[in-house]
Amino acid sequence: MIKKDIKISNRLGLHARPAAMIAQKAGEFSCDVKLSKDDVEVNAKSIMGVMMLAAEYGSTVCITTDGEDERQAADAIAELFNNKFNEEF
Amino acid sequence: MFVLKGVGASPGVAIGPAVILPGDSFAVTRQYVDPSEVKAELSKMKTAMDKTMRELDSCEKKVLATLGQEYAQLMSTHKLILQDPSLHDSVRKKIKDEHLSAQAAIFLTLQELAASFDKIEDPFFKERRNDVFDVGKRLAKNLEADKGEFLASIKKPSILIAHTLYPSDTINLQENQVLGFCTDIGGKTSHTAILAQSLKMPAVVGLSSAAKQVQKDDTVIVDGDNGLLIINPDRYTLANYKKIQRENKKAEALLKTINHLPVITQDGHPLKLFVNYDPRTDTKENKKLITDGLGLLRTEFLFMNTPTPPSEEDQHRMYLAVAKRFDMRPATIRLADLGGDKMPQFPLDEFDQEQNPFMGCRGVRLLLKNPELLHTQLRAILHTACEVPAQIRIMIPMVSSVEEVRHVRNAYNQALQELEQEGKKPVNKVALGAMIEVPAAAMALDGMIGLLDFISIGTNDLIQYLIAVDRVNQEVAHMYDPCHPAVIRTLNLIIQTAHKRGKKVSICGELASDAKMLPLLLGLEVDALSVTPRMFLRVKNNIRNLNFETCSDMAQAALLMGSSEEIRSLIEQNKNEDS
Repeated sequence: MIKKDIKISNRLGLHARPAAMIAQKAGEFSCDVKLSKDDVEVNAKSIMGVMMLAAEYGSTVCITTDGEDERQAADAIAELFNNKFNEEF
Repeated sequence: MFVLKGVGASPGVAIGPAVILPGDSFAVTRQYVDPSEVKAELSKMKTAMDKTMRELDSCEKKVLATLGQEYAQLMSTHKLILQDPSLHDSVRKKIKDEHLSAQAAIFLTLQELAASFDKIEDPFFKERRNDVFDVGKRLAKNLEADKGEFLASIKKPSILIAHTLYPSDTINLQENQVLGFCTDIGGKTSHTAILAQSLKMPAVVGLSSAAKQVQKDDTVIVDGDNGLLIINPDRYTLANYKKIQRENKKAEALLKTINHLPVITQDGHPLKLFVNYDPRTDTKENKKLITDGLGLLRTEFLFMNTPTPPSEEDQHRMYLAVAKRFDMRPATIRLADLGGDKMPQFPLDEFDQEQNPFMGCRGVRLLLKNPELLHTQLRAILHTACEVPAQIRIMIPMVSSVEEVRHVRNAYNQALQELEQEGKKPVNKVALGAMIEVPAAAMALDGMIGLLDFISIGTNDLIQYLIAVDRVNQEVAHMYDPCHPAVIRTLNLIIQTAHKRGKKVSICGELASDAKMLPLLLGLEVDALSVTPRMFLRVKNNIRNLNFETCSDMAQAALLMGSSEEIRSLIEQNKNEDS
């Protein structure tokens, strides 16, 4: 199991489009992918779950992956965050 | 016994056991299913999901082509919501474990999701629930596509109770043992009501909560004349209605005796009486009616429920049959009035979901933006006129400006030229007219009348636009008022403007078969009326019992009145004097 804390650096936070990107990316892996913020944990493969986190700019979320390809999944999701979901340059 | 009051949409009395149509998106009529039906519900769900996915796919492609990547992403978000495991799992679980119907399962899941979104404080994130609901509604809508199947499963003559019925559902009713129907939604002039009349099926609409209050197999009476639904009537009431049913039958038989008589008032004022015709509901009985011709052929149905627009050949075949059916009498074919509540399945330009579709891209507006549709239809109609010596007339729907008429006139000329080059020429000249249903066209009719061979007033939409009242919105439906002074004056303006240029005016729409309004229409000097086959003989009988001079006086008086109240009491007064 891998856990990774990551700070949200895109201005709009995890709104629909980033949530879509996360769910899409997470869906490519066979392992469980979870996102948590404060006490709430959601399935990252569920776009609605991710949206419901309501993670805003500056907050920190935790990525948890568990399964065969947990390493690749954690890296791929973290990369989306680090690239600010391609929205700010 | 329990009585619900609604709006009579189609006259007559029907008595029978109730069947309840599995409901519309957000009115769940059936909460639970039998354990043996779980599998069927799951597969229903799967079918609805697949269908929704295909819809979203094609929507995404269209958005991508027209609005670009940025907006297309929104649609892919919707696709992800649809595929979302939390949606799937919850719905499947509810069906499997709790034996909820697929519909109820979706509804509940959406409610739960909405509740979770509501907990979010940030308004920006809260907004996202709308995306979820949008997808949910689509799904629920696709789930009820099985109405046809349900209707086919009705085994004994019954009364159908539904939250809402679409025109496409209505058309299937008669072959499915339905004696009459009731809906919660809808008004007297909705297309569902109009179809019910042509099917001679008693109907009451706008009942608000019938779908919830009636149980399956309750004995119910549909009183289409008074707009009543009577649930579990007592013996006396039942006997009374059975008597009315018998009397109606007798009156109908009596009407048949005037079929061969001319349409003329007592004092010799003649009128043309056309029939609105729908080839899908034509009956032997309708064929026996002696009419002055076809006043309105709606062609939308050719474009509905088909993955591609109908070809010229397909349309031509249909029009030829219609022309032959009406022989040498005028046959008025209205160009497709698509848009509004009639959305074809094939892709069209300018056809994204609209906020206010009735004021959006419909009728001639849509045709001008999809010139190939217009061209094909014009060619198909003109081609028909080359083959039979009929009096075919083309009517343009939703005209609001002279430019639109000019564009259609040009397209008409072009199609005519093409046919001539192919060696085809209409036997008789094909008249081109317009449906006047937009107030702007009524006001500025003098500017376009020169380009038109005839006009027909579409009263349903004209009144709706004139008073700014949506006839299916129950909050305001009661304001839909044919007696409004603005309506009477506008009709007068249209008729007078047309007559000054020697053009004939007919009225199609509900107003034409409204017995109370008939004297006013006659008095305003309308040249022709077009009514459903069902109403044809009644209207004819009514005309034959009127005195044109009295009607004229009445119309002149009504034109001076400033309130619907006055006009209505004028009409009532006249009626009383008659009897």
